[in-house]
Amino acid sequence: MKESETETTKPAAGASDRPTTAVTFAARIERAARGARVRAVLLDFLLVWYAVGGGLFWARWTFNGPAPPWERPESIGSSGHLVLAAVALVLALLWSRSRLSPGRMITWSTHPLLKADAPRPEGGWWRTVHGILVLAILAETVALGWKITEIDLVSLFSSEGLAGAGRIFGALFRPEFGILPLVLEKMIETIYIALVATVVAVPIAFLLSFFGAKNLMSGNRRSLAVYGAVRFSTNLMRSIEPVLWAIIFTVWVSFGPFAGMLALLVHSVASLVKLYSEQVESIDAGPVEAIEATGANRVQMVWYAVVPQIVLPYLGFTIYRWDINVRMATIIGLVGGGGVGELLMQYLGLAKYGEVGMIVVVITAVVWALDYASAKVREAIA
Amino acid sequence: MGFLKVEGLTKVYDNGVVALDNVSFTVERGEFLGVIGLSGSGKSTLLRCVNRLVEPSSGRVILDGIDVTALDVPSLRAERRRIGMVFQHFNLVKRKSVLVNVLTGSLARQGTIASVLGSFSAEDRAKAMQCLEIVGLADRARVRASELSGGQQQRVAIARSLMQGPDLLLADEPVASLDPATSHSVMDHLERANKELGQTILCNLHFLSLVRRYTTRVIALKGGELAFEGRPEEIDEDWFKRIYGEQAREVGIE
Repeated sequence: MKESETETTKPAAGASDRPTTAVTFAARIERAARGARVRAVLLDFLLVWYAVGGGLFWARWTFNGPAPPWERPESIGSSGHLVLAAVALVLALLWSRSRLSPGRMITWSTHPLLKADAPRPEGGWWRTVHGILVLAILAETVALGWKITEIDLVSLFSSEGLAGAGRIFGALFRPEFGILPLVLEKMIETIYIALVATVVAVPIAFLLSFFGAKNLMSGNRRSLAVYGAVRFSTNLMRSIEPVLWAIIFTVWVSFGPFAGMLALLVHSVASLVKLYSEQVESIDAGPVEAIEATGANRVQMVWYAVVPQIVLPYLGFTIYRWDINVRMATIIGLVGGGGVGELLMQYLGLAKYGEVGMIVVVITAVVWALDYASAKVREAIA
Repeated sequence: MGFLKVEGLTKVYDNGVVALDNVSFTVERGEFLGVIGLSGSGKSTLLRCVNRLVEPSSGRVILDGIDVTALDVPSLRAERRRIGMVFQHFNLVKRKSVLVNVLTGSLARQGTIASVLGSFSAEDRAKAMQCLEIVGLADRARVRASELSGGQQQRVAIARSLMQGPDLLLADEPVASLDPATSHSVMDHLERANKELGQTILCNLHFLSLVRRYTTRVIALKGGELAFEGRPEEIDEDWFKRIYGEQAREVGIE
């Protein structure tokens, strides 16, 4: 069978009857399918690994019971994990031979070139053996969730438990007004930590956001690489929680508001770059085309065609970010990042719940007021 | 000779769609060339390949002896100054004033920093006002572009192109989102740019009545290939069916 014969008969090759175009297109489909098969095996592997491993752990918990918290929990060890992975890999390779395996269904139906070629079994995929297996894995997740989180309704509603809850709620609702001036001063510190972090983050994120927008950076390989680097590094920075950043910076610059501010700054830059870039990606491409067509350069194009479309959404995001930062600044205080959170942690350690109650009241009032104000401002500029 | 020569132009998009298939034609200086064909026949792609808003897959576009398809980025920018463009959806910067929108036509002549600061020379501002006067919108110069009607926005887009002062004007369905009366006013402005300023025009059009009224020559695309080339009055019933399909019936715009 000659290759060119089979390929020119493909209907997907487009309206052209010129063989060169048809062959290159078929070759691209072939190449896409090769990559997709590898990704499909990977997806199937993850699924099988999870299913078999989860089943194993569920059985262990069910027959041995959970390890008591004061004992070092047992692990199946690295050799156990290797065997588990090997078994899962063999099963996944076998499963992926079928065009209906979940990995192949996902990769084929989401790939732009292979979508048309994805199998559509009669009566729906969920009715096939493969679909039922996936449903079984979902059911396993529910069973595992119950086991892993050690759901225990008895202790939730026991009389001792309820009495403890009553003590703490009682104290919280009788706030110790004597410390109100101190709490307010610390609250101002928290608000400033959030404010400075936001104000410094905005110009940095503004500049980076254009480099993190795919529609502006897909021109050539080099700009795509810059786009990838910006998106990757900010995603990484964002996936590290602010509390973790705060711990890092308390080690770096020692405890206090500066560490908290830096932690919020890093996280704000990363989050704003994502929000800003996505805004740039969703702009109307028409003005970009029009300004480019006049022979303007990149900077002029961004300034005239992109910036006017994003200024208002940027403002909205920034105010929202400040709002989030005030909330986060209180949390960051808990690990030594300064502000009212630090105070909260001290009284919590002394079990002085009346004082804790006072702090919680102030935090709640400030957060509510900011939330309201930021919503109003965003409404006004939209 | 030929002012604009398109040779074997082919565009295959990444998804495999062949938008243009080996299209060749020549346009003389001062012509008003209509481009017709069904939606998806490659008209927009053709225009965008001329100023390389869309990068052609193969073939050449030669404007006044310069191979546009072979230019590097800085030279392409310089060459784009000579090629104006008007769009179906006007593509104005909606949040900026009408005057600033017209001034953007001169960006390629401005320094980067000056243009970012928005400091255009008094001459440029005066010229922009003149361009607005030509399209009859001088009194709306300070208004935000988004506040104008569709027809007015398209006239601002034409003023922007006048400000640019191109030799070649690409018009991509300039009246497709306008009502009949406004359509004629916009087409009249294009005609004046053609006759009085000597701009060569390539104009994608849907309505054959407009093609017959305004263009000096016409080409038709069908499935990305050149299906017809000739004078507008040569498109008879037979050709019409060949270009638009057997089922098509002509509707007019008066």
